Amino acid sequence: MNIVNRFFLYLVLLPSKLYQKMGINTVQLASILSIKLMMDDRRPNTMHQANKRKEAKPISAATIGTMFVSAAMGSFFLISFFVGSEMLTRFTIYFSFFIFVLSSTLIADFTSVLIDIRDNIIILPKPVTDKTFVIARLLHILIHISKLVVPMTLPAFILLGIRNGLLALPPFLLMVIAATLFTIFLINALYLIILKITTPEKFKVIISYFQIFFAILFYGGYQIVPRLIGKAVLDNYSINTASYAFLIPPYWFAGGWEFLHSFQFSATLISCFLLSIFVPFASIYIVIKYFAPYFMISGSDGESMPAIVSEIKQPRPTNSFINTIANLLTDAGAEKMAFLHTWKMTARSRDFKLRVYPSFGYMLVYFFMIFLRDKRPALNSIKQNSNTEKVIFISIIYFSSLILITAINQLKDSDKYKAAWIYFTTPIEKPGKIISGALKSLLVKFYLPIIALTFFGAILVEGPRVIPNLFLGLCNQLLIIFLIGYASIRNLPFSQAPNLAKTSFMRGLLTLLIPGTIAFLHYSIYTFMPVVIILSILSCIASWLVMDALKNKGWEIITELKEGY
Amino acid sequence: MEPIIELKQVTKSYGAKTVLKGINLTIYPGQVIGYIGPNGAGKSTTVKILCGLISDYEGEVIVAGIDIKNDPLAVKRRIGYVPELAELYDVLTPAEFLGFMGELYGMPKVLAEDRMIKMLAAFGLEANADQRMDTFSKGMRQKVLIISGLLHNPDIIILDEPLSGLDANSVIIVKELLHKLAQDGKTIFYCSHMMDVVEKVSDRIVLINEGTVIADGSFEELQQQQGNQSLEKIFAHMTSKDSLSDAADQMMRAFEN
Repeated sequence: MNIVNRFFLYLVLLPSKLYQKMGINTVQLASILSIKLMMDDRRPNTMHQANKRKEAKPISAATIGTMFVSAAMGSFFLISFFVGSEMLTRFTIYFSFFIFVLSSTLIADFTSVLIDIRDNIIILPKPVTDKTFVIARLLHILIHISKLVVPMTLPAFILLGIRNGLLALPPFLLMVIAATLFTIFLINALYLIILKITTPEKFKVIISYFQIFFAILFYGGYQIVPRLIGKAVLDNYSINTASYAFLIPPYWFAGGWEFLHSFQFSATLISCFLLSIFVPFASIYIVIKYFAPYFMISGSDGESMPAIVSEIKQPRPTNSFINTIANLLTDAGAEKMAFLHTWKMTARSRDFKLRVYPSFGYMLVYFFMIFLRDKRPALNSIKQNSNTEKVIFISIIYFSSLILITAINQLKDSDKYKAAWIYFTTPIEKPGKIISGALKSLLVKFYLPIIALTFFGAILVEGPRVIPNLFLGLCNQLLIIFLIGYASIRNLPFSQAPNLAKTSFMRGLLTLLIPGTIAFLHYSIYTFMPVVIILSILSCIASWLVMDALKNKGWEIITELKEGY
Repeated sequence: MEPIIELKQVTKSYGAKTVLKGINLTIYPGQVIGYIGPNGAGKSTTVKILCGLISDYEGEVIVAGIDIKNDPLAVKRRIGYVPELAELYDVLTPAEFLGFMGELYGMPKVLAEDRMIKMLAAFGLEANADQRMDTFSKGMRQKVLIISGLLHNPDIIILDEPLSGLDANSVIIVKELLHKLAQDGKTIFYCSHMMDVVEKVSDRIVLINEGTVIADGSFEELQQQQGNQSLEKIFAHMTSKDSLSDAADQMMRAFEN
């Protein structure tokens, strides 16, 4: 166990006498807590979830890593102290960041770390009282949260201490505690609501969508908002002018600090202060009184319901729409199988979605940045200035291949990679067919909607004269995808243990060279209509040939074949 | 002799679904009970009630003279439980995990450590004592689980499919171990689907189906009632509505087109 955990353990076990008076077995308490902390140290945390490692060395100091990351986040929050016209506004922004980041981190940890369902089988059959178990769980949660909150707020403590003097710190500490309690309430409430309407399994899926959504929102917010508003506006912004300020909880904590720091007895500040103290403590009371029993269940939990209870669903007819598409686009047999398999796996694997969807979002953000950088070119100027038109058109068309490439890079990874035995035990002659089927599936799923939108938008803005270029773009896209498939795919779909996401991102960047080059070539001939038309036809034929070559690839290309076996 | 486990009219439902419909059982020390039944018959639920994992049942469960509802801790101290699926904290090493189990049972550290090392060695795991279990095979995990259930020398041992994943030699060790534990006066509650093992190791077989006990007695007694056949056949005869060889025929007929 590392020094941080040992310190926290020592700290929470200080009131041992009190625990004993409450009828808690302190030996068991200490032993549950230390084993839990030891496990925390070896578990990849939320921030690593996207890049699970396979054979890498066992994780041994995850705690330090987590604390480091939250310190980095906390330094990031300091931005809020450099905008706005007075402290009240700055603190409102600071606490918004704080509550937001803390809750989105905790929400994932609650299911995986803090409420470990294995406890029910491992700890509860042992002679441990419910009280001891519940206190162990609460203290574990407390330690876990402290490990996030302490490093997260440390940068602000330092900055405040320097800028506003040491007297600014105690009120800040109080408000941090209050805001943390409030965040715990928020999460609990959210958990309870979601668990009421859905099952724990689905809940995990919902949580992962939340994570994706927040990741994109966050990233987009940081990138786009300053560009849209401009620094001068931000500097003069004051939250006090907003009439809705009282509705947002971060404002209370900001006001609470202001009140304690300045002792101005204004109605606004006093009410903020009261809210900032009263609401968190009331809400934590609610958590303990009403929510806790749901999470501390030992006797009758829904989890232990025997499998047989769930009703047998009538088998639904197989999705005939996608079957029709598969029949149209693929050869019967291995290729069609791979098409449908990929279609279903990408739709149902939480893992795949967690890895791919955020990058879609990031790309959208990049996309908007490209436009916003040049002071939002209006549609009129697109029409007038043919060069801007060309640049925008080309970037839209080729930009979408990035999304597809991201998906292709993730195609080989799956947590259930061992199930890939099906490829090896069935008599498949040409694994190239599996790869081409999977690629077509990704094309239909992730590219067709985009290309349809682009066509629609481009024809609407530019008129039918843009069609040849659109067509060339489309053919080139197909060519790019099949070229990448032909040149770089050396694994069957969903057949590898997930690797570090970073490496595949790097490889993704390298693969960008192909679309980059083709995009540049397209750009240079954009206005020569006959060339565009001839090249479209050539590109179309080339795509067909490459696809055919890909289909005929034999087993020798599958180089990283049995790594996981 | 005083019974060690007594279940009186134990009923448990999940919502509208009644899983146990009044189970009555009286078990004496030193017995090896083979507790069998088809999937969903209520085996796991019975085990969970005995281990104190489920408390909202109706009826009475008395273990070693103690009502489990009155003093669950006293009961839990006397029970060793080996759960079904290999549920353990696999980021820990066997030494850490078993040390933790020993602490929860309030065993002196030296005793727990000494016993753990001897038991690991008996299973041929002494070299793996300090390796994280996430790299372990299913059989190795199962061995650690069995040790975790025996470590505190319980009077009652509840095993839920304990042989799953074990290799043939380890199966022999565990079967032999069960005999010796029973000779030592320990009560063994053995849940399994492997009829041939149950037939050999248990001196009393309890068959439940749809939440009720439908047969209870030694293998010989069951044979007298049901005709001189293997436990597998008796089980099939008593729990299956359709003829099982019909099902096989159906499978074969599928080849016909």
